[in-house]
Amino acid sequence: MTSYGFAIDNRKCIGCHACSTACKSENEVPLGVFRTWVKSVETGLYPDVTRHFQVTRCNHCTDAPCATICPTSAMHKRDDGIVDFDKDACIGCKACMQACPYDAVHIEPETRTAAKCNFCAHRVTVGLEPACVVVCPEHAIVAGDLHDPSSELSRLLAAEPTTVRRPEKGTSPKLFYVDGERVLMQPTPPDAPPSVPYTVERKQERPWHWPVPAYLVTKAIAAGTPAVAALAVLTGLGSEVGVAAAVVSLVGLLATTALLVGDLERPERFLYILKRPNWDSWLARGAVVLTAFGALLTAWLGVEVMGLMRGATGPLRVVLLAAGTPIALMAAVYTAFLFAQAKGRDLWLNPWLAPHLAVQAIAIGAVTLLGLGATFGLGPPATHQMLVYLLTGATLIDLMLRAAEDPLWRSSFSGQMLAGGALSGLAAALPWLSIDLPILAQVSAPLAYAGLYLYEHAFVMAPQDIPNA
Amino acid sequence: MRNDDRTPIDLTTVVHPDGRLSQYPPAEHWDDWTEWDAKAWPRKVAKHYTLVPTVCFNCESACGLMAYVDKETNEIRKFEGNPAHPGSRGRNCAKGPATHNQVYDPERILYPLKRVGARGEGRWRRISWDEALDEISEKMRASRAKRRDGIMYHVGRPGEDHYANRVIQTWGVDGHNSHTNICSAASRAGYFLWSGGDRPSPDYANAKAILLISAHLESGHYFNPHAQRIIEAQQAGAKIVTFDPRLSNTAAKSDVWLPTWPGSEATVLLAIANHLLQTGAWDREFVKTWVNWEESLRAVPGWAEDDAVKEATREALRRPDGPTFDDFEAMLKALYRDFTFERAAAEAQVPIERIVEAAEIVASAGSAVAAHNWRAASMGNRGGWQVARCLFFLNVLTGSVGTEGGTSLNSWNKFVPKPHSSPPAGDAWNELHLPVEWPFAFYEMSFCLPHFLDEGRGDVDVYFTRVYNPLWINPDGFMWLDALKSEDKIKCHVAMTPTWNESAWFADYVLPMGHAGERHDVMSQETHAGSWIAFRQPVQRVALERAGKPVERTWEANPGEVWEEAEWWIDLSARMDPDGSLGIRQHFESPYRDGEIITVDEYFRWIFENSVPGLPEAAAAEDLTPLAYMRKYGAFEVTKDVYRPYAEPGDDGQPVGFKTPSRKLEFFSPTLRDWGWTEQSYAVPWPLESHVSPANIDRDAGEMLLLPNFRLPTLIHTRSANAKWLYELSHRNPVWIHPSDASRIGVQTGDLVRIETEIGSMVDAVWVTEGIKPGIVAISHHLGRWRLKQSDNIGAGMSSLVTLDRTGDVHSLRIDEPGGAWKTSDPDTSRVWWDDVGVHQNLTHAVHPDPLSGAHCWHQKAVAVTKAGPGDRHGDVQVDVGRSMAIYREWLALARPATEHSPDGTRRPYWLKRPLKPTRAAYRLPGRDEETS
Repeated sequence: MTSYGFAIDNRKCIGCHACSTACKSENEVPLGVFRTWVKSVETGLYPDVTRHFQVTRCNHCTDAPCATICPTSAMHKRDDGIVDFDKDACIGCKACMQACPYDAVHIEPETRTAAKCNFCAHRVTVGLEPACVVVCPEHAIVAGDLHDPSSELSRLLAAEPTTVRRPEKGTSPKLFYVDGERVLMQPTPPDAPPSVPYTVERKQERPWHWPVPAYLVTKAIAAGTPAVAALAVLTGLGSEVGVAAAVVSLVGLLATTALLVGDLERPERFLYILKRPNWDSWLARGAVVLTAFGALLTAWLGVEVMGLMRGATGPLRVVLLAAGTPIALMAAVYTAFLFAQAKGRDLWLNPWLAPHLAVQAIAIGAVTLLGLGATFGLGPPATHQMLVYLLTGATLIDLMLRAAEDPLWRSSFSGQMLAGGALSGLAAALPWLSIDLPILAQVSAPLAYAGLYLYEHAFVMAPQDIPNA
Repeated sequence: MRNDDRTPIDLTTVVHPDGRLSQYPPAEHWDDWTEWDAKAWPRKVAKHYTLVPTVCFNCESACGLMAYVDKETNEIRKFEGNPAHPGSRGRNCAKGPATHNQVYDPERILYPLKRVGARGEGRWRRISWDEALDEISEKMRASRAKRRDGIMYHVGRPGEDHYANRVIQTWGVDGHNSHTNICSAASRAGYFLWSGGDRPSPDYANAKAILLISAHLESGHYFNPHAQRIIEAQQAGAKIVTFDPRLSNTAAKSDVWLPTWPGSEATVLLAIANHLLQTGAWDREFVKTWVNWEESLRAVPGWAEDDAVKEATREALRRPDGPTFDDFEAMLKALYRDFTFERAAAEAQVPIERIVEAAEIVASAGSAVAAHNWRAASMGNRGGWQVARCLFFLNVLTGSVGTEGGTSLNSWNKFVPKPHSSPPAGDAWNELHLPVEWPFAFYEMSFCLPHFLDEGRGDVDVYFTRVYNPLWINPDGFMWLDALKSEDKIKCHVAMTPTWNESAWFADYVLPMGHAGERHDVMSQETHAGSWIAFRQPVQRVALERAGKPVERTWEANPGEVWEEAEWWIDLSARMDPDGSLGIRQHFESPYRDGEIITVDEYFRWIFENSVPGLPEAAAAEDLTPLAYMRKYGAFEVTKDVYRPYAEPGDDGQPVGFKTPSRKLEFFSPTLRDWGWTEQSYAVPWPLESHVSPANIDRDAGEMLLLPNFRLPTLIHTRSANAKWLYELSHRNPVWIHPSDASRIGVQTGDLVRIETEIGSMVDAVWVTEGIKPGIVAISHHLGRWRLKQSDNIGAGMSSLVTLDRTGDVHSLRIDEPGGAWKTSDPDTSRVWWDDVGVHQNLTHAVHPDPLSGAHCWHQKAVAVTKAGPGDRHGDVQVDVGRSMAIYREWLALARPATEHSPDGTRRPYWLKRPLKPTRAAYRLPGRDEETS
């Protein structure tokens, strides 16, 4: 079985950028993005100073996280080991950009879909070398079959020691550097001295923006409310508030979906997630979870409405909520598994993320029910008390977990972290007094949402500011 | 003719011995090649192309390109390399693929334009080519009737061999003006005085030591072909030594980097020479056989400054059996003994170990020393021609002349075929080209044209600028602005250019000429130890013809009405002499059809059939005519493995030797002595003091050296605008400054500084870097293009919108709007993400014509470099043209005019190369007819 890979021989590379323009020409790459570029850096002090070059691009990883996370297999690994992309299948969710630990993927401005070096698959398929290999004046770029011992590539790799970029990411890159320069192999720190002025100036961009933290909040509302309601029905929950809670959950889910779809570069293609799913991707799996969860919420609303009309809630309500709670919790926490697939963002690879999302959903569910209860009549005081305890406990755990996020506190988002924590804390404290002052419960819900949003915003943005290339 | 069921030919089963995949379509399929469309991929959409070879025009290397012309639309999909090209061997630099940008530039000029209103007002009227031909040929005929020096063809990069030169010669005028004096003149002079050849051709691929006073891994002649072979040699064990005060990419790849203070290079080279001489690591036999040692020795009393050297030589000369080579050796050792490593290290301000290491690399390389000087130090410094001469001295001492791995002369590795008719040499001399002050100028004193015009030395009837933007590229651009605006000095200005430029704005006619894939030319360059010709072709025309659609004129296949020059010159010349009375028309008649005007096909057909040895046979072997062979392959290898041609026997049975008067390599130059350069520092390889030597730059007073002439691998001199992929990579030209200098004046990367030169000032941002020698600031010369109006010009992403102003003698330029995105038919222009497009530094450069070579000595004295003040804006330029003329006159006074020094009443040593050498009679100085040489 063929396995294509590259070697870049830094002993020969003169940093001329022939590969950069040949790639633009072969693949008609628009201005503003590069599928291959030359990093360069100076090291040492005059007169003992030198300059290093590094042709930088997709590594065609054996374990390509971009392909794993892609919900539609637009980004995919071919049988011959090339990691290719299909602009016609891409929905523009940018998860691949979060998954790539090498910043090799971008959104192409013309198609608004993900693109990167694809090894000139259209050429290699018919037996022609990639355009960058052919143009290189120094033959510093070698492409070939790693599984064919007689290929030039295999022979070079057998003869020379090589290194790959960030092997600790566990992706098994298939782009090998001869004489790899340590400084260049690692991502350029944001405070690095400016590089040579005549080269590609790559801006650190955040693929995901405000809709993603907003989606985390709306999803916590949608998922937390029925999960907490499942507990509340044990101590008693009024019919009117039941209807309201189900409505709020459904609205939360619709908002979640709208935010997800709205943040796609190609929103009109959102159904591709279900039409051509990649079941390895937690985006695809999440879509199924959310779909199932949507059915659950619809059923719940039906049960609540029936209960209200009949003037009494039946056992169906308890059974439905009890059976639905795992689905609700799954809807709350699946994002943790998605974040875990984003191998390019170290700060998201947090083993506590799943429980943290669950705790947040419970706190948000509790405060939501308390707020709705203040308006529509919650039920027995025991329910109120239980919810206040639940809210307080969950918020305390949430805040402890937030406090443990060292890198976020050290990022430029520390102010948001602090404000978010204060709002969430306040939102948990106010309901203690809301038996006499229901308005406190009513305001604590939006306060909790805002507090969570501020935290999630920091959580989503700060890791995206850490360079990978 | 759609045949969409055709799918690509499968090359996956082809096994190459080197273990690579295929790199190029096999030649037998070039006529009809199918590829999967990269943009549609992974959908398999077949695209059908005809592959037409052509030649890149984005530097002088003449690398091969292969145009993929779509068979359905006749559009050019892309340019790849041409594997049949012996110089570039199928590979290219960044500029090759970017040819596509130039062809599809949404702002290119598509029709001939004629000025409306005052010159420079920016109003134009579209005219027909017929009108252009009639009007311009009429002006030329009128001028030619009056005088032989009224028409001037001013060329930047020729990009072809001999075609245009032949045309000028047919006009019977001294009309060739080049850019050589801002480019390579000094280096040419240094090589020529030694050997009669004016450019080196190093055999890098086989070298053991590679000495570069240049940046051949990123620029220079000829970047891509040479960079391939330099790195190949390094991989095989050769060592690279590079002289450059700036850490170029080349310096970074070198084994030894010598960041010499500009002007000290000759001293360092002579220290290496001294090391070879004193340790016996030189090739005595070679020097004895091929150097004019006896002539040199006999002349010693006339030029040597050292009394002991003179006395010892006199003694040898008095011996009855005459001097011996041992005497010459003793003289050399004594002459150069003071060039110690210590002295070189001190003058160059370089660690001594590096100079020792460099010397040992040269000493251990045998006769495989490949050395190159191209621009760099020779063009930076007054007396820079001696840098090339001292460098070639090392080739001579090591016997590395024309050897495998050594350094040849360009004429041995370049082949220029003869056309069907060669007009006789002219008998005119244009004083504006080669005035009497610089009898050794290599070549025309082109960058001083405005200064000559200002002095009232003459005028020009018809001035052609061709792929040349004199106002922008030359030093002292405001002098050019004044000259171009002056309709009584330059009466008609015809700008031949594919795209807008600053000079064309001040033209009377703007004529769009084709890019690399839109014209015919034959070109050859000395890229290695062999020779070849390459054929540039209008690829869309060729594609149409292959498809059976006849094309009469190239413009029919080109975008708009873009002509090719070859056809333009034929028509223009024929119209200039409709009845043949001027003797011009006969040279434009077909060799195949009596009395008819020649076609471009016929012109090149005749050359390929008659003037290229081996080509007709190679073509016949493939059952092709020579022309068809060249149309198919685009290149032909004429010779290979050319070594030591000077040792071949000539007609007289003696070795042909060199093209010097002595047929030897001339250590001592009798010509220089005869023309008044009698001092030791001119007569033999010796350092001359630069105008920017440490003694001339008072660093304690805040003066610095401005190094303004380095180039980037990604840009095309002044022609990169309109190549979007190149500008995306390189669009700004900040000032390189060492941290010690930056902290002294209190700036950090990105801060603005104001640099004051001898004639003006400019404001640019700094880049603080360890990669520059302290005391020097450096700015890349490509960038800082500007435009005066929003429309009809180079686009916003490539140029700044500026206002020009003049108060008395003081000109100023101020940027009103930096670069940025703009809307055109190409969606990419709205994606431009940069705004800084550089500062036009050349405006602030004083002209520095070298007293001997006439070359512009590019380095500038930065009188002050200070943090910019509150009124300073990025890109500001101010120049006092009164100062311009004062500095010009200072340098003029250093020259040694033929009128005072000519030994024979001529203007210039006759054996010295010059383009389109006129008859000997034209060399006579006015009023000096009676003298004999």
